[in-house]
Amino acid sequence: MILLIVFLPFLAAVLSYVAGKESETARDRFAAAATLIELLMTVLLLYWMPSEDIPLVFGSGLHFTADGFRCVYAIVTAFMWAFTTLFCGEYFAHEREGLNRYYFFVLMTLGATEGVMLSADLMTAFIFFEILSFTSFTWVIHERTPDAIRAGYTYLFIAVIGGLVLFMGLALLNETIHTLRFDQLRSAVAASDQHGRILAAGCCILFGFGCKAGMFPVHVWLPKAHPVAPSPGSALLSGILTKVGVYGILMTTLGALADNRSFGLIVLILGVITMALGAVLALFSVNLKRTLACSSMSQIGFILTGIGMYVLLTTAECEEGIVLALSGTMLHMLNHSLIKLTLFMAAGVVVMNLGVLTLDDIRGWGRKKWRLKIAFALGGLGISGVPGFNGYISKTLLHEGIVEGIHTIHSLSGLLHVVEWIFLISGGLTFAYMLKLFIAVFVQEHPTRQAQFDADVNYMNRTSTAVICGSSVLMAVLGQPGIMTRLASFMTGYEEILAFKAFTFANLKGGLISLAIGLAVYLWIVRRVLYKNGSYVNLWPAWLDLENAFYRPLLTRWLPGFFGTIVSVFGENRLLTPLCKGALAVGTFLGRLISIGPDTLVVLSRRTLFRERAAVRADQPSLGRVASFHEQIRQACAPLFGSFSFALMMTCIGVLIILGWVITYI
Amino acid sequence: MSSALILSAIVLPLAGGGLLLASPGQAERNRRKYTMVITCLTTILVWLILLKGTSPAFTLYYFTRGFSVDFHVDGLSMVFAGMVSIMWPLVTLYAFDYMSHASHRNSFFGFFMMTYGITLALAFSASILTLYVFFEMLTLVTIPMVWHYRDHQSMYAARVYAVYLIGGAALGLIAVLLVTLGGGEGIFRYGGSLIGTPDRRLMCLVYFFGFFGFGCKAAVFPFYYWLPTASVAPTPVTALLHAVAVVNSGVFAVTRLTYYSIGPDLLRGSWVQYTAMTLASFGLLFSAVLALRERHFKRRLAYSTVSNLSYMLFGITLMSPDGLVGGVSHMVFHGIIKITLFLCAGAFMHMTGHEYIYEINGVGKRMPVTFGLFTIVSLSLIGVPLGCGFVSKLRLIYAGIGESSGVAVFGILCLIGAAFLSAMYTLTITVRAFFPIRGGDRYPSDGKLHEAGWRMLLPIGVFTAANVLLGMVPGPFMRLLDTIGAGLI
Repeated sequence: MILLIVFLPFLAAVLSYVAGKESETARDRFAAAATLIELLMTVLLLYWMPSEDIPLVFGSGLHFTADGFRCVYAIVTAFMWAFTTLFCGEYFAHEREGLNRYYFFVLMTLGATEGVMLSADLMTAFIFFEILSFTSFTWVIHERTPDAIRAGYTYLFIAVIGGLVLFMGLALLNETIHTLRFDQLRSAVAASDQHGRILAAGCCILFGFGCKAGMFPVHVWLPKAHPVAPSPGSALLSGILTKVGVYGILMTTLGALADNRSFGLIVLILGVITMALGAVLALFSVNLKRTLACSSMSQIGFILTGIGMYVLLTTAECEEGIVLALSGTMLHMLNHSLIKLTLFMAAGVVVMNLGVLTLDDIRGWGRKKWRLKIAFALGGLGISGVPGFNGYISKTLLHEGIVEGIHTIHSLSGLLHVVEWIFLISGGLTFAYMLKLFIAVFVQEHPTRQAQFDADVNYMNRTSTAVICGSSVLMAVLGQPGIMTRLASFMTGYEEILAFKAFTFANLKGGLISLAIGLAVYLWIVRRVLYKNGSYVNLWPAWLDLENAFYRPLLTRWLPGFFGTIVSVFGENRLLTPLCKGALAVGTFLGRLISIGPDTLVVLSRRTLFRERAAVRADQPSLGRVASFHEQIRQACAPLFGSFSFALMMTCIGVLIILGWVITYI
Repeated sequence: MSSALILSAIVLPLAGGGLLLASPGQAERNRRKYTMVITCLTTILVWLILLKGTSPAFTLYYFTRGFSVDFHVDGLSMVFAGMVSIMWPLVTLYAFDYMSHASHRNSFFGFFMMTYGITLALAFSASILTLYVFFEMLTLVTIPMVWHYRDHQSMYAARVYAVYLIGGAALGLIAVLLVTLGGGEGIFRYGGSLIGTPDRRLMCLVYFFGFFGFGCKAAVFPFYYWLPTASVAPTPVTALLHAVAVVNSGVFAVTRLTYYSIGPDLLRGSWVQYTAMTLASFGLLFSAVLALRERHFKRRLAYSTVSNLSYMLFGITLMSPDGLVGGVSHMVFHGIIKITLFLCAGAFMHMTGHEYIYEINGVGKRMPVTFGLFTIVSLSLIGVPLGCGFVSKLRLIYAGIGESSGVAVFGILCLIGAAFLSAMYTLTITVRAFFPIRGGDRYPSDGKLHEAGWRMLLPIGVFTAANVLLGMVPGPFMRLLDTIGAGLI
């Protein structure tokens, strides 16, 4: 069953490509049908939960399994694919170029993503992870604008370096504990005493999966790649592909690194930085999809913070906190996927109608478009953590996890207090930037084109409406604590979470503080500072960009510059030739010195014993012939004596002599 | 029986090539038939030898004490001979189309065939002196192919080629002589051929000369300059000789010297091991950066070869069975990968007449098969799973981790960095080919440019298939290498 789920999309990809050569409508329908069938199959997985293997390939074989968390994520994946593929039909109505390729890679990525989500060992996860890295690249570069190409390269190279570091981490882990199966990791790590190596492997794995998740400092691709991809692709990139990275980090942490305190601290700190940085970037952005992308980064930070807290609480053996942190992490992953599905598809509706995304250009476009307005509002409410909607419960769980940590881990309570406040402020910023987007697109009026905007009533067809509104309803449904706690218990396997009460005062307090901060930020910062003379301004300094300020110069200028200097010395014979010439010169000089003795003898004897009696005529013809012959030989041999090989040969002879001496006398 | 087989496998292409050189015939059809028949026959002979399994050393000709020509078949020679014997007929087929407009085709195919014989002799040689003799001959017989186009650039390249390789072999000779004098007549034996208790200090010095001497052919840093320069040769030569046969014979010789002559036990932990490892590690990162800087298609691939050869040398200088397996597996897998990349580059150059990377923009639409396969294989080169490059890199990293010395860690870091750079220098080509910036497409769809003929596509396809197959099911082949690493065959 799992094998079918994983490999059917690959087959469907090929079929859709073939179908697309014949008829475009047939292909669109086929692709949508394939994703719906996939969704059905993943739902069936719930009743089954099998484990399946393919032995022999890649040495150790591929292993798949399904448990609560994996099942839920397999369903979410298939669900998102089905909805975005349905939405594609209208989104690409006017932009037909390269669609065959697009569908082909969309279906391939579906298979690969299910492969990661249902994997039972790290090697399987890694293999499918690499496949999806490369197949999803085609979405980023789909539009082929200069921006898209640039973002595509960034995405690709970060994916590659992530894959390689991950690869190294896996090799290190496997060489240390001799297994990569998730269910055996914990016992194998407990039996090993090489904690340093395991931590190093963990950091490599964190970096590798973090590249895909959009973790600081390798987040640079995320705010650039998500906006340039076609909107259905952005929804998947943001909703699922980042989660693939998080999934890898979470699974490795649960298995191998759950009681490694330093690892927990690393994840926590990186998570907090990602969370705060993403929120600030989102607040400053004046582009609809870029804001959503930065928001994704920030939400990933929330999830990573949860993972970090989970590790710290495990080392402190605080059972209650573990349940809270783990449930919060998994639920927030789920929520964020669904929220971003709605929001990016809503942004897609804007793009396909207007073709622009800057807030000033699209201002007021949604004033009279109620279906879109409600869907976007539900998404915004969900992500901001307003009580009654889905984001509230997961954020509260994460927050309670941190609070629990403050009470139990005394040595870190100072740090955790700071973390708690950054958490609340980032939550507030989330509310602020969603408010900014909502008010800009759906409340304010466009200075010139408002009448034209309001007249546009056919802005999305029935399928798109069903898809977008259908997914947005989930925000409210999943906002019910009864449903959420059951889901959490199903995914984590902990029964204790069922007793969690979401609407007590203590739990509401955190959420309300966040919302208050958010409102204040919106009123005081967004409206006063970021909104001037009736237009939104981007106050983020352009040079403050990790990619342009550091990564790109490092690879394109600093490294080649450094190695280029070495090349100018070693390569192109600039070192070897002078070296050989020098050796020859020294040899000649030494030869001269040695020959001084015999020369002196010769000169002395010529002056004394063998004095020449008769004068020799200078123009003797025979001598002349010898001289010219000698000159000819000299000219013929000149290139030889000046050549590198001659020098090498002489060196070798010299070395041989020295060696002979060494052998004789050592 | 097996001695007769080995001899005929070596002599047949040598004699066949010599005859073709001497023949005045110019009929294209006959030449193709003749070349193909001889090459295929040789390959069949090689596989007969390989299927019979290992055979002990026999002396072909005895000159004097310590100098005789000996051949044998052991695990390592089986791997090397097996690899080249599959590649040769396919690349010859490719060369028929590629060289169809060139002059001096008799001389080209004649030398090409002779190189086959000498490479086989090198693979089967049983003592280090025999190896050395064929090592030198390999250089001499390939020089005419480097200057094949007879223009200024080719002549310069041939001169550089000769200087580096002959000079390097001269350095290697020091090691060869001293190893032969060390007893055992230099007959290869796993773990070292030296007899008695050899002087460790002297042997380190010997290894130093041997490593850099033979390493010249494997383009070890800092003796890499000849390889990118020699990429002016016709593509079949760059693909088969300068990415596989010649350069791998350098690696092969270093392997023989390390594991079968001096012995890893003697050298492990010595200064010379760390020097060699550091230079190999540094060189592999260094040449990857140069590849990234390079704009000429084939020269970029040549720099990539330099980098990958240093991967192998890194594995081999780890001086452990795991390192041997990693190095040799990378030798085979990189051979399959790089030959495909070069053949794709050749197909592009042959069809368009262009040779620079900025001239690739948009060619993917016109030559989808060539560049599709190019993409698959370059992913394999980077070390993405499903390709065989992944397997050998995994083994190299395992071997490095198993060593757990500082130099090995440095090497692994360089390896990861170089793999990343290899993604940059190959995938930019793919992206240019398939996703040109809007309006930047250089090849409009007027139907003038199309895929290369079947003779060029077939080898590319076969090598790509081998690549994916070995990447998906590496088990049997890796078990063979593990047996070699354990010293059993």
